[in-house]
Amino acid sequence: MKRARIERWGSQLLQSRPQGTRPQCLYQQPQHPQPHNHRPQWHWQAVRAQSTTSTPLSSPSRRPPPASHAPRIPRESLPSPPLSAARSSAKLSALHARLSLPSRLPLETLARALIDPSADPNPDLNNASLALLGQDLLGYYTAEHLLAHYPRLPQTVLYAAQYAYVGGKTLAAVTREWGVEAAAEPGGEVDPGLLQFKRVKPGTDISGAAAGETIGPDGVNRSQWRLGMGMRNVSGDEFGDINASGLDAAAGVTLEDASKTFVRALVGAVYLHCGQLSTKRFYASHFLSRQLDLSTLFAFRTPTRDLSRLCAREGFEAPVARLLSETGRLSRHPVFVVGVYSGPDKLGEGAGASLDEARTRAAAAALKSWYLYSPEEVTVPSEAEGKGDQGKRWVPCMVDCGEVIA
Amino acid sequence: MSTTLPIRRSIGRAASNCLSTRPSRSLHPSPSSLIPLYHHPHHPSTQQRRHEATARRLTKKHRVPAAPAFANTTQPQDHIIYNPPSSAPNVYHTPLKFLPKSDRRRELLLAQQRAAQAAAAAYKPSSPFSTASPAASALASLSASAGTEAAPTPRLPPPVRAPYEKKYHLTPPQLDEMRKLRARDPRKWTRVKLAEKFECSQFFVSLVCQAPQIKAERDAELENIKKRWGRQKTMAREDRVKRKESWGRDA
Repeated sequence: MKRARIERWGSQLLQSRPQGTRPQCLYQQPQHPQPHNHRPQWHWQAVRAQSTTSTPLSSPSRRPPPASHAPRIPRESLPSPPLSAARSSAKLSALHARLSLPSRLPLETLARALIDPSADPNPDLNNASLALLGQDLLGYYTAEHLLAHYPRLPQTVLYAAQYAYVGGKTLAAVTREWGVEAAAEPGGEVDPGLLQFKRVKPGTDISGAAAGETIGPDGVNRSQWRLGMGMRNVSGDEFGDINASGLDAAAGVTLEDASKTFVRALVGAVYLHCGQLSTKRFYASHFLSRQLDLSTLFAFRTPTRDLSRLCAREGFEAPVARLLSETGRLSRHPVFVVGVYSGPDKLGEGAGASLDEARTRAAAAALKSWYLYSPEEVTVPSEAEGKGDQGKRWVPCMVDCGEVIA
Repeated sequence: MSTTLPIRRSIGRAASNCLSTRPSRSLHPSPSSLIPLYHHPHHPSTQQRRHEATARRLTKKHRVPAAPAFANTTQPQDHIIYNPPSSAPNVYHTPLKFLPKSDRRRELLLAQQRAAQAAAAAYKPSSPFSTASPAASALASLSASAGTEAAPTPRLPPPVRAPYEKKYHLTPPQLDEMRKLRARDPRKWTRVKLAEKFECSQFFVSLVCQAPQIKAERDAELENIKKRWGRQKTMAREDRVKRKESWGRDA
């Protein structure tokens, strides 16, 4: 398979550019009345941004100018800690070691991944661009893992599983588990090993802002409408959610959002500095290793009807519920064990306090065992990337014809 | 399991024996012996009563035949006895019928089923009342739908509801007639009546024709009834709905 050369784009992303031709960052920046008034010297800023690249500053032309040329700026006036402070931060080194990050990932990039756009609006210094790349990588790796290993998963369950693996709440929990602490208030004098973000003011309505007030051209507020699956597939993100991010970064973000951005940025940084193999290893050890029981994500409204439709679609005999065993039929707490059979083959089994309950549970179990089918040997697309011996031989994945629509 | 059925029958027999013989067998008749003890609400019997029927029942119950996995211990080499406790099957273990044609696990499962069938056929239980061992019948019921020719029809457990075949016998003119009847007099031609007349299910009638005015009336009636419910009954009904929803969720 041909491999997308994201690192080329990434190296462009990390390099500094002259002020006049600075491209718009993909992250929507709030307009500030006084843009970058805290950095009067352009070349000084360029050098700071330059030091985020992984390669050591070798060429003499790129070496930072002597301190005498640049006026001393008090750190308190900077919105986020300067990159020069990264080398002297014990917290940052400890985090680097604790996560067993590759040595090719410099401390400066780790420090940059900890700076949220709400703390520093400068796209050359915050983690917005890294987070964008990391979000796509996390979504890609999770989706290919789920789709290749469970090809029959329904779309809603797929979205729920994606969210369970790399959703906002999970990434916030991952940040906590990594021992990343948040700064009370961002600033240049703060330790760069702390998560720098501006907190949202207490009392702000986050839920309404996060949902996004989607007012149509006809003036109808559609934010309360329930989203159909087609809408979620077309215009949703990797979790099928449509959030217009009504909260702007200048007003502050929640700890969960800042943690989420940090983890994504770190994944993006690992990809840019250390390549795909290291990123996949990092992903497998920190995200794929989390236990998720997919069978708990299902919720069937009419399992018996769905199972009948499935059997009709696949050409099996119509399902028949059969009583395997029972106890206490005339007592207050009877237990019935019912199996669903298609012809002579048992498809699922369920126990319940009434015949109807046991029958429904058995049908739901049968549907789950259909949807949770997993092929024996799976090659996910990203494994087959790379030239020659690097990638595995590509074996096409199973593609299912789709879920049951009753 | 199917072994419970004979046991239940024997319990019933033992219990009826006890009940019929208890008054005459009581050793120390109390002054109030005119009223049978088991009907007396305020003076439950404190003496121990031990009947032969109970002892024999328990003895019989404890006489469980060895599992088929333990039966054959004369193998020359070391082997593993696999005799797991009964539990609901794991949903991650895809049944044979749900495996795609290309999956190699089909052959493994087929071979396993054939071996199990052969073992079930060869297994002779020692106790008379465990002839229908659940494991054996379950194993026998597994069939090789994929490819085994002329497999003996296994004995399946009884169906929960009487199985029926869909007839698909109604024609468009009959459906028109059904709609016409329902529209003309929805009080006379209810769903039940129409289902009886056209020999179809009530659900099918509801698919063909509706009577919205009757539904609104019934809903209003139901609302009136619900208004009279107290807190407990309302909560109990809500809980019942929630429990029913959980059937399809955490099965």
